[in-house]
Formats: sequence, structure tokens, C-alpha cells
Amino acid sequence: MTGWWSGTLLVLRRNLLESLRSKTYKIITGVLVLISIGVVVLPQVFGEEETTYTLATVGAVPDDVKLLLEAAGEGGDFTVEYEAVADADELRRVVQEGDATAGLTEDRLYTSTVGNGTFAVLVSQAVVAVETRDRLSEAGLTGAEIAAVQSVSPPEQVPVGRVDDEDRAGVGFAVGIVLYIALTFAGSAIATAVAMEKSTRISEVLLAVLRPSQIVVGTVAAVGIATILQLLLLVAPLAVAVQVTDDLGLPLAATWDIGLAVVWFVLGFAVFAFMFAASAAMVDKITEANAAVVPVSMVLLVGYMLGVTVVANDPTSRWSAAISMFPFSAPVAMPIRWASGEVPVYQLLVAMVLTALTAVLLVAASATVYRRALLVTGRRAKLRELVREPAPASR
Amino acid sequence: MSLEILGIRHSFGARTALDDVSFTVLPGVLTGLLGPNGAGKTTLMRVLLGVLVPDAGEIRYGGRQVGTGARTTWGYMPQERGLYPAMPAGEQVVHFGRLHGLSAAEATRRARDLLEELGLGERWADRTDKLSGGMQQRLQLATALVHDPEVMVLDEPFNGLDPLAVAELSETLRRRAREGRIVLFSSHQLDLVQDLCEEIVMVDRGRVVLEGVVSTLRAGAGDRRLRLTVGPGDHAWLAAFPDVEIVSEHVDELRLRLGDGGDPLAVLDAARAAGPVHDFGLDLPTLSELFLAVAGERTPAEARR
Repeated sequence: MTGWWSGTLLVLRRNLLESLRSKTYKIITGVLVLISIGVVVLPQVFGEEETTYTLATVGAVPDDVKLLLEAAGEGGDFTVEYEAVADADELRRVVQEGDATAGLTEDRLYTSTVGNGTFAVLVSQAVVAVETRDRLSEAGLTGAEIAAVQSVSPPEQVPVGRVDDEDRAGVGFAVGIVLYIALTFAGSAIATAVAMEKSTRISEVLLAVLRPSQIVVGTVAAVGIATILQLLLLVAPLAVAVQVTDDLGLPLAATWDIGLAVVWFVLGFAVFAFMFAASAAMVDKITEANAAVVPVSMVLLVGYMLGVTVVANDPTSRWSAAISMFPFSAPVAMPIRWASGEVPVYQLLVAMVLTALTAVLLVAASATVYRRALLVTGRRAKLRELVREPAPASR
Repeated sequence: MSLEILGIRHSFGARTALDDVSFTVLPGVLTGLLGPNGAGKTTLMRVLLGVLVPDAGEIRYGGRQVGTGARTTWGYMPQERGLYPAMPAGEQVVHFGRLHGLSAAEATRRARDLLEELGLGERWADRTDKLSGGMQQRLQLATALVHDPEVMVLDEPFNGLDPLAVAELSETLRRRAREGRIVLFSSHQLDLVQDLCEEIVMVDRGRVVLEGVVSTLRAGAGDRRLRLTVGPGDHAWLAAFPDVEIVSEHVDELRLRLGDGGDPLAVLDAARAAGPVHDFGLDLPTLSELFLAVAGERTPAEARR
């Protein structure tokens, strides 16, 4: 052993290799990649299908209107079909029954609902443009002058304000779920790794050459890295897609929410991972590991439940503020609350600092419990005896 | 460089596990730490390996107190298998070599040599949990030996092994001892290991009750037995020897304790005169008999405590 880090890195490397090679890890990673790609690709696939609008008219469609609509269609990815009907009554009927998107007469535009979206607006604009051109022509303007007048366009809209919409709240919700699941999976992986070393007595061999802190930090870090790799695989395609196209319907602020989620995973992981490790060190058989970590899982679950109920309901209430800053619920609750856009930055920082401090304290406490629990073999360790030096196996 | 265990005491709450245990293990001598279950062997081994910090006493190696750093040159084999089930055999040995401070290249080279020596060369890439019990035991030994330790501590290494595996393992250990290493192993199967170890330290209820060279201890017990395989009979001829006591009598085998100065040849002659003698021999007391003798002496004293 040449130093604390070299020993810890050996433990880390071994655990990481074993995680990455395990079937479970490969399967979960595969599923995550599929989900991520699916979320990005599916809207594109369905989005590529061209929209077709139908315009019904009494008699033939004015050529000028038709030209303008087709020009708009090329820019907006839609095609227009035309349907000629006998009279105004039939026109009303086909629009009403949905056979046509809109119906145009000399002086009326029929639509199925009030303010029927983009297409009705486009038809109106086309009619107005044609009418305006005719009148300008009558007023004696040349073709070039008319074109100059008609090329006037409204100022481009650029959204810059905070987006406090439902989409972003949805992102917060998704981030909360992913964090909760990631911490639960990582906790379970840590518990299994620790319980395996304990039940096979590998821990005894390790303790002869390594300090408990090296074993526990190495194991926890390996699982943490393996899980972050999975999270990045899940998040990266999303983040790239949001940057490259706007088709996902995610507001820009949500990209940062997703990035922040990775930071919260690291903090939440630091708080919970060592508790998972210490709990699992108390078991005698590997099969007891899942039962042993139930108390820690419960703390995590309660934090998550409070996040999706109290915090998501009213992100501005005092309770929400408290829950999102309390170190044991903050890792899941704060990302949910943050996505509401109602959180002062100082509260985010306070929550992060508190969580980080708690993690540091827990590392020390967990390493002690871990060291003592490792010496209790042949039965399950009791919490009471871990406060003092434990008794050995009965044999 | 000898390994000295000096005045080790350790208690778990009110229960004393080790009570002033002192002895010395010499290099080149295969030494057994013997005693029944619960005698304190595993606790002592954990103290030796620094897994447990004793209440009092110290461990010295080569005259210097042993710290964590020094123990990286030691090898430890725990009682149950301390192997990663999902790890390939070769990689496992390399990993433990590196934990003991070897470079990756050096650890790999030694792991290959060692697995070859232990007959596991072909199984380098196999998962550990795919190996048989005996192979896993040898792999476990390889992980304890890969860094060529100066001090080897093995907790119940013969437990659950078949006679062939016992012979192989003891041969490997004896070879390391001959090379001048310190080899200390524990066992509760006293009679199984009495021919394997050269020196013993016998512990009972946390105390050393007997220590020394096995042959000297057995010969010096002053307790010779005559073993006779005789035909059926009432052994009335024994009446002529008032100092001779029957230790055991199984079917046709008779074991007799000769008192001080008793002449085994005279007893043999008397037996032959009384009937046919198919086999005979002089036996030294077994290690378990020696243990029972010393443990029996202590029991009344223990009861008064």
C-alpha cells in the first residue's frame, strides 16, 4: 500500500470493472439508451409526417390565394388540398363535419372552431394580401412598389423571459423520478457489493491491507461512477437534441434543469451511498442486504414523496422551501422545486451546501459503523453494539 | 526475524477472549495455533492482522512493533473463502497482488507462476464461482501468496478439505516455511494436524495452555501407551501389572497406559503367554489427549473464578 489513494483506486477500479461487466448493468444501460433515443427520435419520426389542410371554396380558388398558400406550405411543411363545393350551405357543412379545415367564400371564412389555428390565419393573410395588392394596383403603384410594401414583416419574436410553464414543471417531475430511481438503484448496487465482501469474508483480507475508509470510499465511488455513466447516457441525447432542434417542446431553461440534476445526483449520492454501505455491512448473508437497507430507502422515499406532493403542489410555500433545503429530502425535492422557476438562487446554494456538509459528516460516521460491523460475523450486527466495539462470532 | 506475540489481552464486553497471550513463531518452522472452537484463535489472528485492536499487548516482527505498513508484506487466508465470486481467477490473484503493493506487470507475472504451481494455470480466465471447492481453496491460497509474503497467517486452512487436498496444502506451506518464511495456521482438528505442524501453540479459553515442538511435547508427556491387537479373552493376565491402566478397549484392540517405569516388553510377554498377539506398538499421546490433559487440569480452577 503506497498511499491512501492508490489503495482506494484499486478498490474503485475492481468494483467499477465488475459493475460494467455485470449483466444487470448492461441490460439497464441498454434500456436507458433505448428510452433516451426514443424520446429524441420518436417526435422527429412523427413530426416528419406532413400536415395536410383542406380548403373548401364555392367555385374555383383564386389563383393568387393558391400561390400564396403554396409558398407558405413550402416554408411550414404542409400541403393544401382544395375542394370545390356547390354553395355556401354545403361549404358550412363540409367544414362542420371536418371534411375541410376551412371554407372560403367571397366575404367569409368558415372554421370548425373559434380561431382555428395556423391555417385559418394563413388563409386570411393570403386573402388580405391579394386584396391589398389589387387595391394598391388600382391606386397606381407599380409591381415593384407593391412587392416592397408587401415584404414588410412583423418583428421576429425572441423569448427571453423565465419560462414558468407546465413543460418545465414536467421536466422537474421527470428529473425527480429519475433521481429517485437512480439513487435507489445505486444504493442497491452498493448494498450488494458491501454485503458480498462481508459475507465472503473478503472484507477481512481487505482490512489487513486497507483502511475501512479506503474500502468504503472505493466501493461507493465505483458504483457512483457506473450510475453517473448511465445517467449521462440517458441525458446526453436529450441535451444535444434540445440544443440542436426545438422540436422536443422543451423550454431552454429545462436544459439547465437537466444539467443541474446530475449535480444533485452527485450530492444525493454522497448523502445516501454511505448510509447504504453502512447498513449493508451489518448483514451476515448477502440475501439479507436488501432488507438491511430498507430504513435508508424509506428516508429516500419519504423525501421523494414530499417532493412530488407538497413541493410540486405549491413550490412557493414555506413547507416546500423547508423540504427542498433539508439535506435528506433536498436531493430529490429541490430539483422538482427548482423547475418551477420560483426558487431564489441563494436557496439552491444553501440546499447544496447543507447537503454537502451532511455528506461529509455521514462519510465519517458510516466508515466507523462499517469498520465495526465488518467484525461481527455469523449473525446480523445490532445497531447498539456498533456504537461500542462489537463482540465476535459465537463460534 | 521471528514473530512475537506479547501479552495480548482483548475483551468483548464482559467476556475475555484473549487473556495475556504470549508466544513466538520462528521462521522456517510450520507452527500450528490449536484449540477448540471458541478458544480465541480467530480473535488472535484478527489482532495479528490488525483487523482488531487489542486492549493490551503488542505484536513484534523482527524486534519491531508491527504497524499497518509492515502488514502489506504479510499474507492472510481467512477461515471462509475470501474471494470475489464474479471475478476471473487470474485477475483476482493480480488484484490482491496489487493491493499488497505490486506493480500490475509484476503481479500478473507472479499470478501466472503461482496458478501454474497450484495447478490452476488453465483456469486463468474462468470466473471464480465456476471453480470447484478445492480449486477455490487453492485460488484463495494463491491470493495470500502472490506477493511472496514474509509472514503467512492462515485461519483454519484445512477445514473441509479431503485428505489429498490436506496433503497438497501442507506441502505448499512446508515449502514456504523451509524458505525461511513465518507460517502460522490455526486449526481445531488437533489430530488432523499433529503430523503437519512442527511446533504448536495450544490455546483454551483465551490462554496459552501448551506450546513447544510437537515431537518433544508428545514424547515428554511421560505417558507411554502400549497398543495390543489380541484375540478375544478376559485380560485376566493384566492383574499381574497393578500399575498398568486400560485406556481403551475396542473389539480386539487394547490400549494400555504404562505407569512410570513400567516395562512394555514384560507386559507384551505376558499378553503373548495368555494368547495370540496379532499386532503391537508403543504410542505417544495424541495432541487431543495432551489437550484434554491440560484443559482438564484447568477446569476446576476455571470453575472457581
